[in-house]
Amino acid sequence: MDRKMYRKVDMKVVMLGQMSCGKTSLVERFIYKRFNSQYQATIGAAFGACCVTVQGCEVCVGLWDTAGSERYNAMSPLYYRGAKAAVICYDITDDESVERAKFWANEIQLHEEECRVYLCGTKLDLVLQDPKARQVDLHDMLDYAETINGRLFETSSKTGENVQELFNTIVQDYVGDPKTDLSAPQDSSFRLHTQRIREKCC
Amino acid sequence: MADSGTAAEGKAAPALAGGEAVGDELKDDTPGVSGEVMLVNTDSFEECNHDLDTQFSGGEDGPDSPLRKVQREQENELVGGMGNVSLAEEEGKQGSEGSGEAVAAAAADDSEEECVDEEYLHSPEWIQKEKHVFILSESGKPIYTRYGKEDRLVTLFGLMQALVSFVADSEDVIRCIVAGDHKFVFLVKSPMILVGVSHSVASIPQLIMQLTYVHNQIVSVLTGSALTRMFEKRRNYDFRHLLGGTERLLDNLLNMLDSHPSFLLGGVQCLPLATATRDTITQTIIQYCSKIKNLVFGLIICQNQLISLVRMKKFLLHPADLHLLFNLVNATESLKTSENWMPICLPKFDPNGYLYGHVSYLADDCEACLLLLSVDREQFFTLSEAKQKIVDRLRRHHCLEGINTAIRTSAYTVGAVGAPELRHFLYKSKTTAQFTCPEYTAPYNTPEQQRQLFGLYQQLHHRVHSVSRPLKMVYMVMDTHTLLGWVTKEFELYATLEPLVTKHNAIVYINKLLRWIKNEENKLFILSSPTF
Ligand SMILES: Nc1nc2c(ncn2[C@@H]2O[C@H](COP(=O)(O)OP(=O)(O)OP(=O)(O)O)[C@@H](O)[C@H]2O)c(=O)[nH]1
Ligand SMILES: [Mg+2]
Repeated sequence: MDRKMYRKVDMKVVMLGQMSCGKTSLVERFIYKRFNSQYQATIGAAFGACCVTVQGCEVCVGLWDTAGSERYNAMSPLYYRGAKAAVICYDITDDESVERAKFWANEIQLHEEECRVYLCGTKLDLVLQDPKARQVDLHDMLDYAETINGRLFETSSKTGENVQELFNTIVQDYVGDPKTDLSAPQDSSFRLHTQRIREKCC
Repeated sequence: MADSGTAAEGKAAPALAGGEAVGDELKDDTPGVSGEVMLVNTDSFEECNHDLDTQFSGGEDGPDSPLRKVQREQENELVGGMGNVSLAEEEGKQGSEGSGEAVAAAAADDSEEECVDEEYLHSPEWIQKEKHVFILSESGKPIYTRYGKEDRLVTLFGLMQALVSFVADSEDVIRCIVAGDHKFVFLVKSPMILVGVSHSVASIPQLIMQLTYVHNQIVSVLTGSALTRMFEKRRNYDFRHLLGGTERLLDNLLNMLDSHPSFLLGGVQCLPLATATRDTITQTIIQYCSKIKNLVFGLIICQNQLISLVRMKKFLLHPADLHLLFNLVNATESLKTSENWMPICLPKFDPNGYLYGHVSYLADDCEACLLLLSVDREQFFTLSEAKQKIVDRLRRHHCLEGINTAIRTSAYTVGAVGAPELRHFLYKSKTTAQFTCPEYTAPYNTPEQQRQLFGLYQQLHHRVHSVSRPLKMVYMVMDTHTLLGWVTKEFELYATLEPLVTKHNAIVYINKLLRWIKNEENKLFILSSPTF
């Protein structure tokens, strides 16, 4: 337990999206494989890390789970600066959340050229349970994703559907990118401790 | 009921002999006295009450301390950013917490929309709540209600706004209305109005102090300058967009205000800990943090108790700010599993700027939470690394075990004092702004009995701090208990005893209690004031 191990975060990923659209739940599912139906708004942002192995490469993903509340807008560059991927979430049972997702997509495109955009429609289970709950059309969003050169996933943090796929794709795209040099992580200040994470995931 | 006002004069045991002279005599063995100050020590309730809403500069040497200057630069940036929030976009898309449940609930709401206010106002359950708290904007827009949904109380909020502006028209400020056993208290803090409606025993100054805490909580989330700025931009602005997610903090704070003596006393409770353990913890924080520039406070807390606090030289922490940190940690379950980086405004430290807090629990197997508060918002990874080193060293020195053991076993009961007719007490050391109290034991076993006891303390507190007739000592013999309140320069003591205790015995017990606390003072209080 006392084993100390610092390792570099190879890849910074930021979660963005309207309040209560499901960012924290997505991270919880991905890192800890669990789901909590009780909502607790994130304050500021939470940092977590998880290692993913793709094509024989182990990549340590450092995740910034930001708060959706607009009072934190001014702080958001802190979290997306230098990110390699942005997971921009919207709630497929709430059409208003799309507006905010588009706002973030713009913001990222404007300020972070290197950052790939992954749109993520959350709460898929609610729609599978009751198709009438869907307020956001999948094809509309696919079209939109194309215009911004991003990818699109629909996930459920409750059942876990598509969550691993989403993050695997993110890491694969990163590893597969010729611009990526895995031997030299970009930012040496991103040292962190992964012992706890190792025990819990992967 | 025999109320003997300033009783127990002269004749009694030396320690309890009367007023100031006693305080002087006692000085050396008054429990918990320390010349080293790490918390702002608010002298009395009135001052505290007044002080709560005047800004405390945080610095030992006046408002223009170096830190404020450092901060100012960074703040301009952030507050500027806040101004960019697009107001138009937010209009009319409120309450979009679109989880499945919420959607369902919203649908249900729609059908009931017609019977807005009346519905609550006709609900005995709603009306009979012991204490309501409402927050509205100066223009009458609902912001928060402790019970029910604020947007269903539009008429009531309108009425409150009308009352406030009616009185304001005659260049006056409405403070309170008393109707039967109900007290309506108002706190006008532009651009907000806070209203409390209570039929508890809490006094009007106590209720106003509670509203001040609520206001501080909001400032802590938004900063005072952002609040004003938002409002200057648009008088009709719906604050709830910016406060989203804060209801939880307000709810939790209000519950604590009704049950936790720390707010009443304006003091902080420390986790009782062996001096050696506490020293190691403090030294560890200093060791890994003293070189970090811009770090202002480093503290470890658990269960609303302070374990250790290290501060930048020149800067003190105000208990009212510390209470907000307690509340934040207490109300946010999710902090347990992640490393967090959040802007936190400490209203007494600086109401117009944020500190940035690295907030995380020490370990999966230790319930204590570490907060590192800095003025530099780019410092997350530096602090994250420091945290890890702190935890590693604490583990090597068995401090995590020490903390865990203390969490499980350090609470004491009044039995430990060995004063058989003493039932419960609150003791506040005024110089350190810290207090101690035993766990509840018989006859205070049920939540209802504990609530009643808290009410007694509120009444006692009100008596000794009464503005018109402040008392040094109150001794009240009643059917079910005897109450004693005693205030000196160094401490405040509130105690309940058996109803049939003789005055002589009461004095013996109280002196015994003071000696006992004196003996334990190094565990119960933090008497040093470490700095980076
Ligand atoms: N049924 C279902 N509910 C979900 C799902 N994802 C999130 N939720 C619920 O939606 C609510 C909000 O989820 P969070 O993950 O906390 O939302 P967030 O985006 O982190 O919110 P902020 O921190 O305020 O920005 C919670 O009650 C979750 O349980 C999902 O996939 N299915
Ligand atoms: Mg969240």
